[in-house]
Amino acid sequence: MKASNLGYRLGGVLIISVILALLSDAFLSASNLLNVLRQASLIFLLASGVTLVILAAGLDLSIGANVALSACLAATVIKLTGSIALGIVTGLSCGVVIGLVNGVLVTALRLPPFIATYGMLWVLHGITYWYMAGDTIYDFPPTFRALGSGYALGVPVPVYLMLGCLVAGGLFTRYTTYGHQIYAIGANTEVARLSGIPVRSRLNLVYTLSGAMAGLASVVYLARLNSAEADIGEPLMLPAIAAVLIGGTSLFGGIGSLSGTLVGALFLTLVLNGMNLLTIGANWQPLVTGVIVVAAAWVDIVARRRGEG
Amino acid sequence: MSAAREKRLPTPFLPGVAYLLAGLLVTFSVLAPGFASVPNLLNVGVQSSILLLLALPMTLIIMSEGLDLSMGAMLGLAGVTLATLLVDGTSLVFAAGAALAVGLLFGMANGWLIVSLGIPPFVATLGTLGIAQGLALVATDGQSVVGIGEQLPDLYASRWIGLPFSILVALVAYGVFHLLLYHTRFGTYVFAIGGHREALDLAGVRANLYHVAIYGVGGVMAGFAALVFTGRMNAGHPTAALGMEFDAIAAVIVGGTSFSRGDGWLPGTVLGVLAVGVLKNGLNVIAISSSLQVASIGLLVIAALLIDSLRGRR
Amino acid sequence: MPLVEMRGISKSFPGVRALDDVSLSIAAGEVHTLLGQNGAGKSTLIKVLYGAAHPEHGEFLFDGRPVRISSPSDARRLGIAVIFQEFSLVPFLDVAQNIFLGREISGRIPGTVDHGRMHAEARRLLDMLGSSLDTRVMAHELGIAQQQIVEIAKALSQNARILVMDEPTAALSEHEIARLFDLIRTLKADGLAVVYISHRLREVFAIADRVTVLRDGRQVASLRPAETSMGDLVRLMVGREVDTTYRHRFCDQPGEVALAVRDLHADNGIHGVNLDVRAGEIVGLAGLVGSGRTELARTIFGADRINRGHVRVFGRELKDRPDVSVGAGVGLVPENRKTEGLALVRSVHDNLLVAGLDRLFPEHWYRFRKAARVVGDLIARLQVVTPSPHRLTKFLSGGNQQKVVIGKWLNAGSRLYIFDEPTRGIDVGAKAEIYRLLENLVGQGAGVLMISSELPEIVAVCDRAYVMRDKVIVGELGRGDLTEENILRLAMHHG
Repeated sequence: MKASNLGYRLGGVLIISVILALLSDAFLSASNLLNVLRQASLIFLLASGVTLVILAAGLDLSIGANVALSACLAATVIKLTGSIALGIVTGLSCGVVIGLVNGVLVTALRLPPFIATYGMLWVLHGITYWYMAGDTIYDFPPTFRALGSGYALGVPVPVYLMLGCLVAGGLFTRYTTYGHQIYAIGANTEVARLSGIPVRSRLNLVYTLSGAMAGLASVVYLARLNSAEADIGEPLMLPAIAAVLIGGTSLFGGIGSLSGTLVGALFLTLVLNGMNLLTIGANWQPLVTGVIVVAAAWVDIVARRRGEG
Repeated sequence: MSAAREKRLPTPFLPGVAYLLAGLLVTFSVLAPGFASVPNLLNVGVQSSILLLLALPMTLIIMSEGLDLSMGAMLGLAGVTLATLLVDGTSLVFAAGAALAVGLLFGMANGWLIVSLGIPPFVATLGTLGIAQGLALVATDGQSVVGIGEQLPDLYASRWIGLPFSILVALVAYGVFHLLLYHTRFGTYVFAIGGHREALDLAGVRANLYHVAIYGVGGVMAGFAALVFTGRMNAGHPTAALGMEFDAIAAVIVGGTSFSRGDGWLPGTVLGVLAVGVLKNGLNVIAISSSLQVASIGLLVIAALLIDSLRGRR
Repeated sequence: MPLVEMRGISKSFPGVRALDDVSLSIAAGEVHTLLGQNGAGKSTLIKVLYGAAHPEHGEFLFDGRPVRISSPSDARRLGIAVIFQEFSLVPFLDVAQNIFLGREISGRIPGTVDHGRMHAEARRLLDMLGSSLDTRVMAHELGIAQQQIVEIAKALSQNARILVMDEPTAALSEHEIARLFDLIRTLKADGLAVVYISHRLREVFAIADRVTVLRDGRQVASLRPAETSMGDLVRLMVGREVDTTYRHRFCDQPGEVALAVRDLHADNGIHGVNLDVRAGEIVGLAGLVGSGRTELARTIFGADRINRGHVRVFGRELKDRPDVSVGAGVGLVPENRKTEGLALVRSVHDNLLVAGLDRLFPEHWYRFRKAARVVGDLIARLQVVTPSPHRLTKFLSGGNQQKVVIGKWLNAGSRLYIFDEPTRGIDVGAKAEIYRLLENLVGQGAGVLMISSELPEIVAVCDRAYVMRDKVIVGELGRGDLTEENILRLAMHHG
């Protein structure tokens, strides 16, 4: 059932590719396709963490704001020390710490995850704007920029990161007991608890991983943009959540996969890329993404009802 | 029942939000000499009035165990609609009607997605947030709509019985919501939808209808807020109001309305709105950047949630 | 002439004959008590009466005229009101608003409500009931007895002529029960018919004009309290055929102490509980609904907070955390299989492994081949009937679902099993299999604590049993005196 479902979604990706190829000559060019992959990998990095959270029947709305703060701090450290490694470590640690705080809010303090991470969004948003005070930090060493915009063997570097995360995440979710326990928590938290799964510590892990992925995404994003501003994370949250939902991960937890999210990220990027090629302005992006989110949630619910009936 | 004769709880005990508000007022009066002046306090009132227009329906929505993240975006879209029509020379009444209709449409759509389709409120309104924001951006190409004429700005600048227009609107809105929540069937059912949904079904009430209507009311109020906001800005701006829903949610939660028990208190929301307004204004007066104001409200929300969660656990 | 007559009502659910040719006639001004054990058919009969269940056979007469009751609103129109054990009050509305919920008295402006008249009307109703409850108090501030009064007032405001009360005294104090009875007598005097459902025999003699005893969906007697005695009623209730010829071989040499509970107090009301289960023993935990059996099971397992006291399993002290309990070898087979025992949207495979993942794969590396082998073994050993291990558990029958829950604990290496109503909703054949599984468990040195409302089951399966009432253990019955009558006597609190 899961596999064929993913098949449909892959079919959707193919169909939209064919349509785009027919509509625009530029679509099938190697540079455009590589660009699509690069964009998709950025969305995927962020969305993969959210996938874990949603699999465990939670939600993390703070990822976009997390990216912004992590990227700005990483940028500062690179500028101050000139050390790329230190910058990357800073971005990652900032993401992890934010994820950990989310985890504590949700598990130890038992706040509802939606609203807790939503409050966190605005806390991070405020801190980032205050910290940047309208400045832009730009122009990083080429070795760092290669992380976002470079190529290795003709393939964009972020694509390797995406594949690496897909493999690592796939191993984690499918081949460790932690992964199986996360699915169990998402399917029915009470049953998981009464089966002796340490629910709180697993949820903590999930939110921390989500934060870590946001940290990683922030570094790649920074390298790609070659500049950091306070508002760089804002347009990322909706597409990341959209990618997770299009990928077939159920909003209600327990069902879904990272490979689905990969397909979702590809689908979303293709749509946005196609709009770009057809010279439909960026102003349409939130509209299209919003429609996709609602439609994907609706499909999820219909599938669920059907499963029950 | 003589032995168990019920005493009412000593109800008018002061809720936490009142202490918070008083504490903020005292703190800022001490820290910043300019704060406690009449013009500044009036300014707080004006700033809070738009927020109240959003926080009132948000109270009902949160009482029904829901949430509306799309309110700021709906406000933006309604404002752009209003401004565009005014630029085209449409009469104010018609343009305002159109803005309210846009709000109503989106609000009902939210209700339909959440109540009829069963999409969790967070995700549904996150989607409609994107849709409303996107429509506003597409319609304006991301630019402010200027040249809306004098009528609306004049109305906004007018004073009625000595009160600024926006405060008057907020007062009327409060009165209407008070009546709505405490003196109508609709209000009774808002309590019941959040508190014990099955009781309504057993009583033969079509609860879904009322539940959708709660979100519809939210949309209409976003339309009203757009009216005041556009008058104040003297323009329609597609994205300026984004994030305002967070202040509204913060005000409601700080005001003591609970996410999970169908327990809401409209005067608490007013105090919550004032607390948020005073906090922002006060931090402004002592020259703390607006971005840290946002962060402090985020912290306030998390703190209020914590208190609510501790209270619920007891 | 009776106010309402139900004639020859029969109703089946898949695998169960819930009601078999039951006839009930209720007169105005009469208190009619329905008596019977769990599963005897009382609640089904009530559902039929208020239109929530539709019988295959039988007819209704109301005031001597035949009627159809096909929905709760039909029943309401006829004047039938039901007060459930779970009250349906809205916590943050006041007493008057709750009484008139859905039937608010309109004010002058359409859509508004006239609070003044609603309070006055509510006052009048409450006065009629002899209650001085303030109509402006919020429902969440009321005690249970007061909530009940509000429910009764709500029923009266709908011009009810028949008031059905399901276990109305379950959560009341002695004092409150006395007052409720006074109230019922008043209602009776006003010509209301009251259908009163209870487990408590003493109440039957205190309040009933007529008693109908149900057993296994059949009406075994309908008589006046004066014509009978408590002993007779007990015999009528329990004279039940045991479903199988199953007889447990008693455990002659119990092993070490598997479970020791000492002076246990918990937030959920459990207080001062002491009990022991030894390896090789099946120990019953009997008592009426609401006596605290499930709460005790959850507390021992660590699902509910412990305030005071100790739980030791094979000498190891438990904290109130299920993950610690599971690690110590405790397995809970809960009553609500579908919400607490199984994740229905997951497969047999996943459910069988969920509790033992870290034990099966101590290095946290999930090996599919080993997992499949373990699952295959468990399915074979438990004889779970499923087309594939990857079938979602929601598609299995009740008996097979239960086997999966038991298998989950086998895989987790449990040595102390707590069963809460292990055979509820399971057909006869599967029941015998579950009993055999229990037998195997204790044969291999596990200890079993088994909650059951089915007395024949306790008597047939258990080595000994504890009986609970009001959240404490009120007695222990050893092999010699473990009979249905003795259990009921302890559970029902008379002599």
